[in-house]
Amino acid sequence: MSIRINLDVMMARRHIAAGDLAERIGITPANLSILKNNKAKAVRFSTLEALCRELDCQPGDILEYLPDEEESP
Amino acid sequence: MKITSEQSIRLSRVCVLVFAVLLAALDLGCYWAVDWFIGTRPILLGFGVREGILMMATIYLGSIPAWILLVNLHRLLGALAAGQVFVSANVARLRRVSWCCMAACLLCLASAWYYLPWLLVAVAAGFMALIVRIVKNCFAQAAAMKDELDFTI
Repeated sequence: MSIRINLDVMMARRHIAAGDLAERIGITPANLSILKNNKAKAVRFSTLEALCRELDCQPGDILEYLPDEEESP
Repeated sequence: MKITSEQSIRLSRVCVLVFAVLLAALDLGCYWAVDWFIGTRPILLGFGVREGILMMATIYLGSIPAWILLVNLHRLLGALAAGQVFVSANVARLRRVSWCCMAACLLCLASAWYYLPWLLVAVAAGFMALIVRIVKNCFAQAAAMKDELDFTI
């Protein structure tokens, strides 16, 4: 997967538990777990906005693009 | 009077059950059904024991895909009643139903050489296989979209 979600890192920095964050942004803990474990196929802008608001960060702090590794010659 | 979704599914299940009973009756009374059928049609007076056995063979062989089809329809309706519509299991059921129709089509096509009207049944079964296959394709697309939506947070 080329997009990684660093939600657990941001949650650790902000000292916020998964249950609390899920409640604050209005999604279920199960869906937050899907997001945290990089199982999600898409993220709504509304969810991203809520995450940035509650974690006091920018989308780039949560989402990271990983280029595919090229095979060495 | 407006029929609700649950009532519609219940009606469909009753229809499947009626067809299952009719098929069971045909399987049990195949000999008498063929005997009666040949006896009531003057055009079939030339039919002998060989043709009668062939007709019974067509019916018995045709009842195999028919039973598989009915069981799959029953399970499909059960899944619909449980609210599981666009899931991969239903796509697989519809695929099996389509192949059962195709099997019936080929069987009737082969049976047309001793009794030409089987050709009409073959065309009907082939057309039904095509319709079910297209519905299956729609279900497959919808299941993929639902899967995508389920993992959109």
